Amino acid sequence: MVQAVKINVNGADHEVRAEPDSMLLYALRDNLGLHGPKFGCGLSECGACTVILDGVAVHSCVTPLAAAHGQKIVTLEGLSVDGKPNPLQAAFIEEQAAQCGYCINGMIMTAQAFLDHHPKPNRDEIKQALNNNLCRCGTHMRIVRAVERAAGMAPAGAGAKP
Amino acid sequence: MNEMTPVVGRGIDRRGLFRLSGGLVVAFSLFGGAEARADGLPATRLGGVPDAAKLSAWLAVHPDNTATLFTGKVEVGTGVQTALAQIAAEELDFPVDRLSVVMGNTWETVDQGPTYGSRTIRYAGPQIRHAAAAGRQVLLDLAATHFKVPAERLRVKDGVISVSNAPGRTVTYGKLVAGKRLDMTIGATGTSFAMKVAPQAKLKNPKDYTVVGTSVVRKDIPGKITGAFTYIQDVKVPGMLHGRVVRPFGVQAKLLSVDETGLQEIPGFVQVVRRENFLGVVATTEWGAIQAAAKLGSVLKPKGPTAYGAKWSDWNGLPAQDHIWQTVRDTSGTNTTVNETGSVDVALHGAAKVVKATYRTPFQMHGSIGPSCAIADVGKDRATFWSGTQMPHTDRQVMATLLGVPVDRVDVHWFEASGAYGRNGLDQVVADAALMSQAVGKPVRVQWMRWDEHGWEPKGPPIAQDLAGAIDEHGNVTAWRHHMWIPTFLDTTLVAAQLINQPNVGGSVGLGLPAITYAYQFPNADVTSHGEGRVALRTSWLRSPAQFETTYAMEAFIDELAASAGQDSLALRLKYLKDERAIGVLKAAAQAYGWEQRPTRAGKGNDQGKLAHGRGIAWANRDDTRVATIADVTVDRATGDIRVTRVVVAHDCGLVINPDGLRNQIEGNVIQSISRSLHEEVTFSTARVTSLDWVGYPILRFEEIPDRIDIVLVNPGDKYPAYGGGEPSTCPTAAVISNAVFDATGVRLREIPFRSDRVKALLTAA
Repeated sequence: MVQAVKINVNGADHEVRAEPDSMLLYALRDNLGLHGPKFGCGLSECGACTVILDGVAVHSCVTPLAAAHGQKIVTLEGLSVDGKPNPLQAAFIEEQAAQCGYCINGMIMTAQAFLDHHPKPNRDEIKQALNNNLCRCGTHMRIVRAVERAAGMAPAGAGAKP
Repeated sequence: MNEMTPVVGRGIDRRGLFRLSGGLVVAFSLFGGAEARADGLPATRLGGVPDAAKLSAWLAVHPDNTATLFTGKVEVGTGVQTALAQIAAEELDFPVDRLSVVMGNTWETVDQGPTYGSRTIRYAGPQIRHAAAAGRQVLLDLAATHFKVPAERLRVKDGVISVSNAPGRTVTYGKLVAGKRLDMTIGATGTSFAMKVAPQAKLKNPKDYTVVGTSVVRKDIPGKITGAFTYIQDVKVPGMLHGRVVRPFGVQAKLLSVDETGLQEIPGFVQVVRRENFLGVVATTEWGAIQAAAKLGSVLKPKGPTAYGAKWSDWNGLPAQDHIWQTVRDTSGTNTTVNETGSVDVALHGAAKVVKATYRTPFQMHGSIGPSCAIADVGKDRATFWSGTQMPHTDRQVMATLLGVPVDRVDVHWFEASGAYGRNGLDQVVADAALMSQAVGKPVRVQWMRWDEHGWEPKGPPIAQDLAGAIDEHGNVTAWRHHMWIPTFLDTTLVAAQLINQPNVGGSVGLGLPAITYAYQFPNADVTSHGEGRVALRTSWLRSPAQFETTYAMEAFIDELAASAGQDSLALRLKYLKDERAIGVLKAAAQAYGWEQRPTRAGKGNDQGKLAHGRGIAWANRDDTRVATIADVTVDRATGDIRVTRVVVAHDCGLVINPDGLRNQIEGNVIQSISRSLHEEVTFSTARVTSLDWVGYPILRFEEIPDRIDIVLVNPGDKYPAYGGGEPSTCPTAAVISNAVFDATGVRLREIPFRSDRVKALLTAA
């Protein structure tokens, strides 16, 4: 049964008409037209669909829309400040931390929620925080460096330059 | 050459607002390459591809002194969009950040061949370089007329032409062209990779390069980081419906019946599309399509061929998984001799030592993070597609054949997809969308579910390899035999075509080729490939197709010979190589790593703690790029867990266009190939693929990545032309790890993947 479900996305209130047991991901992508959260597996296995729901990184592909009713949701688009990349996004650009970039939404949203609660992590903690996010291009080294950069750490393991 | 016509629908005016059905307005940047008409409907440009002999096929210059490069190549996450822009900007003397790139749209780009095989910079690079150089000359001729001075007196910097010794006499490219189309003839011969463009163009001396060879930031990355980027999965067209496929339970099962009970109650459900064994559902929403497909049997773990609405015959024609190697060997095949020198049999007979080994590598998958997606809008006498394929011009031809529509009535709009690393499902899903759109008469977007991608993307083939070597009493290698059994990795057939009982429409199965470069100078050699057609599952090219596997066997087996002869593995290689660039990368990697010559420890004289430590080396020549890799590993003696801790790569692909972009590719190849070596194997029953998600087909996670990857770029200047960097550094990794594990433990890993249970069993048996 299609119903009107109220959600707040990136600071704006929306009324989405969809089935309450459909997944939040489709409301964000298809009803609201956002490109940040991606469909990767629909099984909560890869993290490409990650959004921040009331301060917690969640997999929107398995989050029923009903569970998001009345909640505040932040997507990749919502991290930008005055149309400019936020510090974490800027660090990803600085490190050129993407190849195809399809997984990067999940990397950034997971890392943002992590940094919000752990502003000074070490490298192993960053890897653990991202361990349920899959990247197939093999951009891991740069992703870790980008999160370190955003956390104000000196990026390590950058490799020898000729 | 002053033949210019007003621009219609090209260049700057493609920037615009694209009003979508959901009321959303998306601004497409020049970089997106999307078309929009004033009324918001997607434009179609039916009527063929541009003439490669015209400058306008490659370049548009806009009044605001920006420009657009047009290329039939596409971005697959490797950074070629930016690298090709650098090549063009260099020859044009134009700022690279004002040069946008339109890729792959079939009505406005030249077919430069598919984007595969690390061939884009190597083959499309010179085509674009020549076109841009010809474009610069055209613009200088225009300026000579404009200023009424000889062209020799003109100078160009950043797209602004000035007259020498005449301060103030300047004009921009944009003002000169004044919005006109650059219809001048620059000449072109040949097709695809072999096309020669503007052969007369005067090229810049590479010594004068200022843009090529620099780490220009990638054009696509900011949008991918902020969410502004439009992937194929994000494209919406007006009136679009959502489709999902329902694949057979068994690979070649027949569709017996479809029970549509309950489908009408699903909100948004439109209809079932059935044609022979092809089955799909169409709905107004994605969720509706997913629910309907699930009722018919599209679920992660289906219970059986008749357990859902779609009833399939009970098909069990696949070989047992543990019998696949015999199946590969039993096919008749076609033999290809790679190298035949002297007599291996005679040398083996008289050898002091003979070493023999068999190597096995399984079906592996591309494993794109985003399942394949396409949109088709098929009418009675025309068809428009939106696709993330690596070969839009080829797919245009294939779709024309599949639908029986003249090719000049077919357009393909190209948008970047999730990385494919070869021929994954992207070319397949186009055909699925075509059949569904044709059936419902409306545009249909089809995205595969995760299990569709894992189950039905064409796989990298399983390969069996037998090796033998002879060593004389002085430790010389006197003979080398390497026999390969390689099923096809060139299959271009379509699942959808098979399901409608027209299996050969649009593609062919092909034959496995000897993907190997044998460079050792052994006195007796026999290197032979047995090429097969399809074995069990549909296969296709997967990053460094077959050469990842053949390099594994070749470079692990030479380590076996070095171990048997008690020699340093690097020294043995250098003793039998004459290829200067191969020797160059091996020595560069050894130097960067700090390689000290010693025989393999084979697990002896090593630390006997929880973790055993070892080092390994291997190299490859893939299509003229040389790469040598050295790595350290640890092996947990109790669990069999392997961790690659440090990697050094020396890489010589000739002229480097964008050093940071290349490093990004090398890091990616290293990590992906560690994943393929340690974890990856497609599993299957006699009916179907059973590794249908990331639990069944695990890939490398963050906790497993190396501590560091050091990269040395060898010969990055203009000593050699630019070869490819998208694949070669995948090749050595499995051998490097296998060799390092032997060094650490004395256990030789001759079968991929090196999963901990397999390693532990070998450690226990040793």
